[in-house]
Amino acid sequence: MAGRGKLIAVIGDEDTCTGFLLGGVGELNKNRKPNFLVVEKDTSITEIEETFKSFLARDDIGIILINQFIAEMIRHAIDAHMQSIPAVLEIPSKEHPYDASKDSILRRAKGMFSAEDFR
Amino acid sequence: MGVQMNEASQRLDECLLRFMDQLELLEEKRERLNSLIEQGWFSISKARYSMGNKQVSTLQYGSEIEPQVHVNARVLENGEAEFDAQRVECLRWKYSEKDPMQVEDIGPKEEGVRRRGVTKQEDPKDQPVAPQTYVSKETSPPNQGLSHHQDPLRWFGILVPQSLKQAQASFKKVIELSAEVATLQGTVLATRKELQALMGNKQEETAPRHTDGKTDTGCKTIRQMDEERASDS
Repeated sequence: MAGRGKLIAVIGDEDTCTGFLLGGVGELNKNRKPNFLVVEKDTSITEIEETFKSFLARDDIGIILINQFIAEMIRHAIDAHMQSIPAVLEIPSKEHPYDASKDSILRRAKGMFSAEDFR
Repeated sequence: MGVQMNEASQRLDECLLRFMDQLELLEEKRERLNSLIEQGWFSISKARYSMGNKQVSTLQYGSEIEPQVHVNARVLENGEAEFDAQRVECLRWKYSEKDPMQVEDIGPKEEGVRRRGVTKQEDPKDQPVAPQTYVSKETSPPNQGLSHHQDPLRWFGILVPQSLKQAQASFKKVIELSAEVATLQGTVLATRKELQALMGNKQEETAPRHTDGKTDTGCKTIRQMDEERASDS
Protein backbone atom coordinates (compact mmCIF):
# COMPACT_ATOMS: atom_id res chain seq x y z
CA MET A 1 0.00 0.00 0.00
CA ALA A 2 2.86 2.34 0.76
CA GLY A 3 4.03 2.42 -2.84
CA ARG A 4 0.56 2.95 -4.19
CA GLY A 5 -0.55 5.75 -1.92
CA LYS A 6 -3.69 6.08 0.09
CA LEU A 7 -7.29 6.74 -0.83
CA ILE A 8 -9.64 9.61 -0.17
CA ALA A 9 -12.90 8.48 1.46
CA VAL A 10 -16.14 10.44 1.23
CA ILE A 11 -19.19 10.52 3.49
CA GLY A 12 -21.71 12.89 2.03
CA ASP A 13 -24.97 13.58 0.31
CA GLU A 14 -25.67 12.40 -3.21
CA ASP A 15 -24.25 15.39 -5.06
CA THR A 16 -21.11 15.56 -2.95
CA CYS A 17 -20.37 11.87 -3.48
CA THR A 18 -21.19 12.08 -7.20
CA GLY A 19 -18.87 15.05 -7.59
CA PHE A 20 -15.95 13.45 -5.80
CA LEU A 21 -16.47 10.16 -7.62
CA LEU A 22 -16.44 12.10 -10.90
CA GLY A 23 -13.14 13.51 -9.72
CA GLY A 24 -11.83 9.97 -9.43
CA VAL A 25 -11.60 9.21 -5.71
CA GLY A 26 -13.98 6.24 -5.71
CA GLU A 27 -12.93 2.66 -5.18
CA LEU A 28 -14.67 -0.66 -4.85
CA ASN A 29 -12.11 -3.04 -3.42
CA LYS A 30 -11.87 -6.81 -3.86
CA ASN A 31 -14.48 -7.33 -1.17
CA ARG A 32 -16.77 -4.90 -3.01
CA LYS A 33 -16.39 -2.49 -0.12
CA PRO A 34 -16.64 1.14 -1.24
CA ASN A 35 -14.63 4.04 0.13
CA PHE A 36 -17.70 6.28 0.09
CA LEU A 37 -21.09 6.49 1.76
CA VAL A 38 -24.02 8.28 0.20
CA VAL A 39 -26.09 9.60 3.09
CA GLU A 40 -29.77 9.74 2.31
CA LYS A 41 -32.81 10.64 4.37
CA ASP A 42 -33.22 7.10 5.64
CA THR A 43 -29.55 6.53 6.50
CA SER A 44 -29.25 5.98 10.24
CA ILE A 45 -26.69 7.72 12.44
CA THR A 46 -25.44 4.30 13.55
CA GLU A 47 -24.68 3.40 9.97
CA ILE A 48 -22.83 6.66 9.43
CA GLU A 49 -20.83 6.20 12.60
CA GLU A 50 -19.95 2.61 11.78
CA THR A 51 -18.84 3.59 8.29
CA PHE A 52 -16.75 6.44 9.68
CA LYS A 53 -15.10 4.10 12.18
CA SER A 54 -14.47 1.51 9.50
CA PHE A 55 -12.76 4.19 7.39
CA LEU A 56 -10.63 5.15 10.39
CA ALA A 57 -9.64 1.52 10.84
CA ARG A 58 -8.65 1.05 7.19
CA ASP A 59 -4.96 1.62 6.60
CA ASP A 60 -5.45 2.45 2.92
CA ILE A 61 -7.37 5.65 3.61
CA GLY A 62 -5.45 8.90 4.00
CA ILE A 63 -8.16 11.55 4.05
CA ILE A 64 -11.83 11.35 5.02
CA LEU A 65 -14.08 14.04 3.54
CA ILE A 66 -17.34 14.46 5.37
CA ASN A 67 -20.20 16.92 5.00
CA GLN A 68 -20.30 19.15 8.03
CA PHE A 69 -23.96 18.47 8.82
CA ILE A 70 -23.18 14.75 8.86
CA ALA A 71 -20.11 15.39 10.99
CA GLU A 72 -22.39 17.11 13.48
CA MET A 73 -24.36 13.86 13.84
CA ILE A 74 -21.25 11.92 14.84
CA ARG A 75 -19.31 14.76 16.48
CA HIS A 76 -18.22 12.61 19.41
CA ALA A 77 -16.57 10.11 17.07
CA ILE A 78 -14.80 12.85 15.13
CA ASP A 79 -13.58 14.59 18.28
CA ALA A 80 -12.28 11.30 19.62
CA HIS A 81 -10.09 10.85 16.54
CA MET A 82 -6.69 12.33 17.41
CA GLN A 83 -4.37 10.66 14.89
CA SER A 84 -2.98 12.68 12.02
CA ILE A 85 -3.73 9.90 9.49
CA PRO A 86 -6.41 9.66 8.27
CA ALA A 87 -7.10 13.37 8.29
CA VAL A 88 -10.75 14.35 8.62
CA LEU A 89 -11.91 17.27 6.51
CA GLU A 90 -15.31 18.80 7.03
CA ILE A 91 -16.84 20.19 3.87
CA PRO A 92 -20.04 22.11 3.21
CA SER A 93 -23.14 20.55 1.74
CA LYS A 94 -25.73 22.02 -0.61
CA GLU A 95 -28.19 22.87 2.12
CA HIS A 96 -25.76 23.54 4.93
CA PRO A 97 -22.99 26.09 4.33
CA TYR A 98 -19.63 25.58 6.00
CA ASP A 99 -19.46 26.95 9.54
CA ALA A 100 -15.90 27.35 10.83
CA SER A 101 -17.09 27.52 14.44
CA LYS A 102 -18.31 23.92 14.16
CA ASP A 103 -15.13 22.55 12.58
CA SER A 104 -13.36 20.22 15.00
CA ILE A 105 -9.86 21.39 13.99
CA LEU A 106 -10.66 25.08 14.30
CA ARG A 107 -12.45 24.47 17.59
CA ARG A 108 -9.27 22.87 18.92
CA ALA A 109 -7.23 25.80 17.68
CA LYS A 110 -9.72 28.26 19.14
CA GLY A 111 -9.42 26.47 22.48
CA MET A 112 -5.89 27.86 22.68
CA PHE A 113 -7.14 31.35 23.26
CA SER A 114 -9.82 30.95 25.86
CA ALA A 115 -9.54 33.17 28.93
CA GLU A 116 -8.77 30.18 31.13
CA ASP A 117 -5.53 29.48 29.29
CA PHE A 118 -4.16 32.88 30.16
CA ARG A 119 -4.82 32.70 33.88
CA MET B 1 16.34 35.09 34.76
CA GLY B 2 15.30 38.20 32.81
CA VAL B 3 17.24 37.14 29.70
CA GLN B 4 15.71 33.69 29.84
CA MET B 5 12.25 35.21 30.16
CA ASN B 6 12.87 37.42 27.16
CA GLU B 7 14.00 34.45 25.07
CA ALA B 8 10.99 32.41 26.11
CA SER B 9 8.67 35.29 25.33
CA GLN B 10 10.31 35.83 21.96
CA ARG B 11 9.98 32.16 21.04
CA LEU B 12 6.37 32.23 22.14
CA ASP B 13 5.69 35.35 20.06
CA GLU B 14 7.31 33.85 16.97
CA CYS B 15 5.33 30.66 17.39
CA LEU B 16 2.11 32.61 17.88
CA LEU B 17 2.72 34.66 14.72
CA ARG B 18 3.43 31.47 12.78
CA PHE B 19 0.25 29.97 14.17
CA MET B 20 -1.77 33.01 13.08
CA ASP B 21 -0.25 32.89 9.59
CA GLN B 22 -1.13 29.23 9.28
CA LEU B 23 -4.70 29.88 10.41
CA GLU B 24 -5.01 32.68 7.86
CA LEU B 25 -3.70 30.45 5.09
CA LEU B 26 -6.06 27.68 6.17
CA GLU B 27 -8.99 30.08 6.01
CA GLU B 28 -7.98 31.22 2.52
CA LYS B 29 -7.68 27.67 1.24
CA ARG B 30 -10.94 26.71 2.91
CA GLU B 31 -12.70 29.55 1.16
CA ARG B 32 -11.31 28.46 -2.20
CA LEU B 33 -12.23 24.84 -1.48
CA ASN B 34 -15.79 25.76 -0.57
CA SER B 35 -16.29 27.93 -3.64
CA LEU B 36 -14.94 25.18 -5.91
CA ILE B 37 -17.31 22.65 -4.34
CA GLU B 38 -20.19 25.07 -4.91
CA GLN B 39 -19.17 25.46 -8.55
CA GLY B 40 -19.14 21.69 -8.87
CA TRP B 41 -22.63 21.33 -7.43
CA PHE B 42 -23.91 24.06 -9.70
CA SER B 43 -22.49 22.25 -12.74
CA ILE B 44 -23.97 18.93 -11.57
CA SER B 45 -27.36 20.62 -11.18
CA LYS B 46 -27.09 22.05 -14.70
CA ALA B 47 -26.17 18.62 -16.06
CA ARG B 48 -29.12 17.09 -14.21
CA TYR B 49 -31.43 19.70 -15.68
CA SER B 50 -30.31 18.92 -19.22
CA MET B 51 -29.97 15.14 -18.89
CA GLY B 52 -32.91 14.38 -16.65
CA ASN B 53 -33.29 13.93 -12.92
CA LYS B 54 -32.36 10.25 -12.74
CA GLN B 55 -29.51 10.43 -15.21
CA VAL B 56 -27.18 12.01 -12.67
CA SER B 57 -27.60 9.96 -9.53
CA THR B 58 -26.03 7.16 -7.54
CA LEU B 59 -27.79 4.64 -9.79
CA GLN B 60 -25.39 5.54 -12.58
CA TYR B 61 -22.22 4.66 -10.65
CA GLY B 62 -20.15 2.00 -12.34
CA SER B 63 -20.07 -1.60 -11.12
CA GLU B 64 -16.27 -1.48 -11.12
CA ILE B 65 -14.79 1.61 -9.56
CA GLU B 66 -11.06 2.18 -9.68
CA PRO B 67 -9.46 5.13 -7.94
CA GLN B 68 -7.70 7.64 -10.17
CA VAL B 69 -6.30 9.69 -7.33
CA HIS B 70 -4.02 8.59 -4.54
CA VAL B 71 -2.67 10.61 -1.66
CA ASN B 72 0.87 10.11 -0.50
CA ALA B 73 0.74 10.52 3.24
CA ARG B 74 3.80 10.74 5.43
CA VAL B 75 4.27 11.65 9.06
CA LEU B 76 7.00 14.16 9.80
CA GLU B 77 9.21 14.14 12.89
CA ASN B 78 7.08 16.62 14.80
CA GLY B 79 4.04 14.40 14.33
CA GLU B 80 2.30 16.36 11.60
CA ALA B 81 1.12 14.58 8.48
CA GLU B 82 1.84 15.71 4.94
CA PHE B 83 -0.51 14.81 2.11
CA ASP B 84 0.11 15.01 -1.59
CA ALA B 85 -2.62 14.10 -4.09
CA GLN B 86 -1.41 12.34 -7.23
CA ARG B 87 -3.47 11.37 -10.21
CA VAL B 88 -2.94 7.92 -11.68
CA GLU B 89 -0.84 8.33 -14.80
CA CYS B 90 -2.58 7.27 -17.97
CA LEU B 91 -2.01 8.45 -21.50
CA ARG B 92 -5.65 9.28 -21.90
CA TRP B 93 -5.38 11.70 -19.04
CA LYS B 94 -2.29 13.15 -20.66
CA TYR B 95 -4.28 13.72 -23.83
CA SER B 96 -6.97 15.47 -21.85
CA GLU B 97 -4.38 17.74 -20.27
CA LYS B 98 -2.91 18.67 -23.63
CA ASP B 99 -6.18 19.06 -25.45
CA PRO B 100 -9.45 18.69 -23.52
CA MET B 101 -11.37 18.03 -26.74
CA GLN B 102 -9.56 14.70 -27.19
CA VAL B 103 -11.64 13.16 -24.42
CA GLU B 104 -14.77 13.48 -26.49
CA ASP B 105 -13.26 11.65 -29.49
CA ILE B 106 -12.85 8.32 -27.73
CA GLY B 107 -15.67 5.86 -28.27
CA PRO B 108 -16.60 2.84 -30.38
CA LYS B 109 -19.13 4.74 -32.47
CA GLU B 110 -16.69 7.35 -33.53
CA GLU B 111 -14.01 4.80 -34.33
CA GLY B 112 -16.45 3.21 -36.81
CA VAL B 113 -17.05 6.53 -38.48
CA ARG B 114 -13.35 7.13 -38.82
CA ARG B 115 -12.80 3.71 -40.42
CA ARG B 116 -15.28 4.54 -43.12
CA GLY B 117 -13.46 7.82 -43.64
CA VAL B 118 -10.11 6.07 -44.07
CA THR B 119 -11.34 3.69 -46.79
CA LYS B 120 -12.80 6.56 -48.76
CA GLN B 121 -9.60 8.53 -48.76
CA GLU B 122 -7.99 7.82 -52.06
CA ASP B 123 -6.54 11.24 -52.54
CA PRO B 124 -2.80 10.98 -51.70
CA LYS B 125 -2.75 14.58 -50.40
CA ASP B 126 -5.04 13.74 -47.48
CA GLN B 127 -3.48 10.41 -46.55
CA PRO B 128 -0.41 11.48 -44.55
CA VAL B 129 -2.38 13.46 -41.99
CA ALA B 130 -5.58 11.54 -41.22
CA PRO B 131 -4.41 7.86 -41.10
CA GLN B 132 -1.38 8.67 -38.97
CA THR B 133 -3.40 10.29 -36.24
CA TYR B 134 -5.90 7.45 -36.36
CA VAL B 135 -3.25 4.72 -36.14
CA SER B 136 -1.41 6.44 -33.34
CA LYS B 137 -4.58 6.57 -31.27
CA GLU B 138 -5.67 3.04 -32.02
CA THR B 139 -2.34 1.41 -31.27
CA SER B 140 -1.47 3.48 -28.23
CA PRO B 141 -0.73 1.02 -25.40
CA PRO B 142 -2.69 2.78 -22.62
CA ASN B 143 -5.93 2.05 -24.47
CA GLN B 144 -5.46 -1.58 -23.47
CA GLY B 145 -5.56 -0.59 -19.84
CA LEU B 146 -8.37 1.85 -20.32
CA SER B 147 -10.95 -0.45 -18.79
CA HIS B 148 -8.97 -0.39 -15.56
CA HIS B 149 -9.00 3.38 -15.38
CA GLN B 150 -12.33 4.20 -16.88
CA ASP B 151 -13.27 7.82 -16.78
CA PRO B 152 -16.20 8.20 -14.33
CA LEU B 153 -17.83 10.54 -16.87
CA ARG B 154 -18.65 7.43 -18.92
CA TRP B 155 -21.03 6.23 -16.18
CA PHE B 156 -23.35 9.00 -17.25
CA GLY B 157 -23.16 8.35 -20.97
CA ILE B 158 -20.80 8.82 -23.87
CA LEU B 159 -21.96 12.22 -24.95
CA VAL B 160 -22.31 13.98 -21.63
CA PRO B 161 -23.08 17.70 -21.42
CA GLN B 162 -20.31 20.20 -20.99
CA SER B 163 -21.60 21.10 -17.52
CA LEU B 164 -20.81 17.59 -16.24
CA LYS B 165 -17.26 17.94 -17.53
CA GLN B 166 -17.05 21.28 -15.76
CA ALA B 167 -18.27 19.60 -12.57
CA GLN B 168 -15.55 16.98 -12.95
CA ALA B 169 -12.91 19.65 -13.47
CA SER B 170 -14.08 21.52 -10.36
CA PHE B 171 -14.01 18.42 -8.20
CA LYS B 172 -10.56 17.46 -9.48
CA LYS B 173 -9.32 20.81 -8.23
CA VAL B 174 -11.17 20.27 -4.95
CA ILE B 175 -9.39 16.96 -4.47
CA GLU B 176 -5.97 18.55 -4.95
CA LEU B 177 -6.90 21.38 -2.64
CA SER B 178 -8.30 19.05 0.01
CA ALA B 179 -4.88 17.38 0.30
CA GLU B 180 -3.35 20.80 0.88
CA VAL B 181 -5.99 21.69 3.47
CA ALA B 182 -5.45 18.36 5.25
CA THR B 183 -1.71 19.07 5.43
CA LEU B 184 -2.36 22.56 6.71
CA GLN B 185 -4.75 21.27 9.38
CA GLY B 186 -2.01 18.95 10.61
CA THR B 187 0.46 21.84 10.66
CA VAL B 188 -1.96 23.99 12.65
CA LEU B 189 -2.44 21.24 15.23
CA ALA B 190 1.32 20.68 15.51
CA THR B 191 1.95 24.40 15.98
CA ARG B 192 -0.80 24.49 18.56
CA LYS B 193 0.98 21.77 20.55
CA GLU B 194 4.26 23.65 20.26
CA LEU B 195 2.60 26.85 21.38
CA GLN B 196 0.99 25.09 24.30
CA ALA B 197 4.35 23.64 25.35
CA LEU B 198 6.07 27.03 25.11
CA MET B 199 3.30 28.63 27.08
CA GLY B 200 3.64 25.94 29.73
CA ASN B 201 7.39 26.53 29.95
CA LYS B 202 6.93 30.24 30.33
CA GLN B 203 4.29 29.81 33.01
CA GLU B 204 6.59 27.42 34.84
CA GLU B 205 9.38 29.96 34.89
CA THR B 206 7.19 32.75 36.17
CA ALA B 207 5.05 30.70 38.59
CA PRO B 208 5.76 30.94 42.33
CA ARG B 209 7.37 27.82 43.83
CA HIS B 210 5.56 25.93 46.59
CA THR B 211 7.34 24.58 49.63
CA ASP B 212 7.15 21.01 48.24
CA GLY B 213 9.17 22.08 45.20
CA LYS B 214 6.21 21.88 42.78
CA THR B 215 5.29 24.87 40.68
CA ASP B 216 1.78 26.16 40.19
CA THR B 217 1.70 26.84 36.47
CA GLY B 218 -1.98 27.65 36.26
CA CYS B 219 -1.81 26.34 32.70
CA LYS B 220 -3.84 23.41 31.44
CA THR B 221 -2.29 20.62 29.50
CA ILE B 222 -3.54 19.74 26.03
CA ARG B 223 -4.95 16.50 27.38
CA GLN B 224 -6.95 18.40 30.00
CA MET B 225 -8.28 20.78 27.38
CA ASP B 226 -9.26 17.95 25.06
CA GLU B 227 -10.98 16.12 27.92
CA GLU B 228 -12.93 19.26 28.81
CA ARG B 229 -13.92 19.79 25.20
CA ALA B 230 -15.06 16.18 24.90
CA SER B 231 -17.15 16.46 28.05
CA ASP B 232 -18.70 19.72 26.80
CA SER B 233 -19.78 18.14 23.53
